[in-house]
Amino acid sequence: MWKYSEKLMDHFMNPRNSGQLPDPDGHSEVCSPKCGDAMTLDIQVDDEDRIEDIRFMTFGCAGAIAASSALTEIARGKTLQEALRITNDQIIEFLGGIPEEKYHCSVMGHEALSAAVDDFKKRSDNINEHLESIIRKMPEDLAETAGNGNIIIEHVHPRHVSIRLAGGDTESVTTILEKELLERTGRIIEVRVSR
Amino acid sequence: MKIYLDNNATTRVVPEVLDAMIPFLTERFGNPSSFHSFGSDIMENIEKARKNIAELIGADAEEIIFTSGGTESDNTALIGAVEINPLKPGLVTSRIEHPAVLETAEYLAGKRHPVAFSEVNSDGTLNMDSFENCISEQTGLVSIMMANNETGVVMQVKEAARKAHEAGALFHTDAVQAMGKVTVDVKSMGIDMLSLSAHKFHGPKGVGALYIRKGIAIPPLMLGGHQEKGMRAGTYNVPGIIGLGKAAELAAEHLSDKSGGTGLLLDKLEKGILDNCPGAVVAGANTERLPNTATVMFKGVESEAVMTMLDIEGVCVSSGSACSTGEQTPSYVLSSMGIDPVDANTAIRFSLSRYTTSREIDYVMEILPPIIEKLRKISPYAY
Repeated sequence: MWKYSEKLMDHFMNPRNSGQLPDPDGHSEVCSPKCGDAMTLDIQVDDEDRIEDIRFMTFGCAGAIAASSALTEIARGKTLQEALRITNDQIIEFLGGIPEEKYHCSVMGHEALSAAVDDFKKRSDNINEHLESIIRKMPEDLAETAGNGNIIIEHVHPRHVSIRLAGGDTESVTTILEKELLERTGRIIEVRVSR
Repeated sequence: MKIYLDNNATTRVVPEVLDAMIPFLTERFGNPSSFHSFGSDIMENIEKARKNIAELIGADAEEIIFTSGGTESDNTALIGAVEINPLKPGLVTSRIEHPAVLETAEYLAGKRHPVAFSEVNSDGTLNMDSFENCISEQTGLVSIMMANNETGVVMQVKEAARKAHEAGALFHTDAVQAMGKVTVDVKSMGIDMLSLSAHKFHGPKGVGALYIRKGIAIPPLMLGGHQEKGMRAGTYNVPGIIGLGKAAELAAEHLSDKSGGTGLLLDKLEKGILDNCPGAVVAGANTERLPNTATVMFKGVESEAVMTMLDIEGVCVSSGSACSTGEQTPSYVLSSMGIDPVDANTAIRFSLSRYTTSREIDYVMEILPPIIEKLRKISPYAY
């Protein structure tokens, strides 16, 4: 058997943050064509772009499973920017070392994380596009309730958007936008309004 | 508790074998090639060992030469047989042979010998259509293993030998894995050369034998001495040969006992696994296999992870592939059977011995299903 550290064995036998999120903000599936390992990663991101929940599924050896577990432990609570700066060496150090031949097993987690962040951004961009399009071709009832003023998009997240209104009826704007977004994306997206 | 279920890798030297060897490691250290009686008396013991091996495979004692093991026997047979006959320089073998045969075949191909590799069927047996297509007038030697080391599938040696002889070729079999597990009779099976290795049937490592049928002359691989009538130079590995002889005697006794103990335990293990581990599939399930070998694919869980958890619980098994140095090639044996590479990377080999106990199998069945369940829970491939 490989000479694994105690900490690595602990993360293999008792993997942290394994599983899937029911409704992730970012999801990725990666595999290593070289050794046949595969991994999925789900992230849930809060309003400040912090990873508040993270889950993995891994098909691979003890090193690959432990490295996945370590990655999720390191990434949890970090902002997306910070998480993307996690290096392989950090994962390996966290695990108390890894046999040299197993170094490649820790690479997959990094790839999965950056792919999940990309997915988060893609989902956000997609909602942003829908929102912009709704505002551009503003339905009459929306224009009226918005007091014919400008609607400024402040923040977009796969589960909620924040807009600024110059005037008009906040509650009605919220209802109409949520309905339009649901129709276009098939998802319930919370609309937050500020003035 | 340590449970050893990796007997196709190697077996333990049993006490009877060790007891037989010890005098030849201590007071009887002489060289059997010596003129004086201190050495030459030992030759009698060597000849007794030779006779034991001959009896185990239905050969005559003079048809056995001692080697350093299966690899040397395979090398000697393959290289010797294709080099001796310039009119028939060709070799036919299968894709699932042991590397000792495969790599020797590739070496010979590099030396411009026509070499052809027969395909196998999805159950791991020799594909006879492909095999027949490989044989030509040029074929001087056919080498097909008696049973595969990974799957335990018993190959159609008798039929392959007949086809080889029809084409005027010699027939060699690597019987390293089959020895002591199934009855072998070189005469009725039509085998011209056969390789065997002591450590696969409770003898010591570093010693084996090659059977060469009377009347066949091939050149030796090892040069430098008169030993084994010039067929294998090098001072006799006396303790090893004595151990091999004793192991052969015990194997013959074991084979004459038809109670089928190992096979019954293997059936129990297989049934237990199939009933309790979702996604488990036995390679070559419905074909004749050695009574001690089962390769099981636990679909969705990577084999090295399973092996590591089993090892922690004291159970030693092996897998067809190992994830190391950044490359994991799925087992070429399973791939040749048409098994998907992801599934091939889930294969665990359980290989029992005649000393495996029912209690050991019970223990494996206690710890294995939760391990598979645990790994399936975190696998993106478990379905």
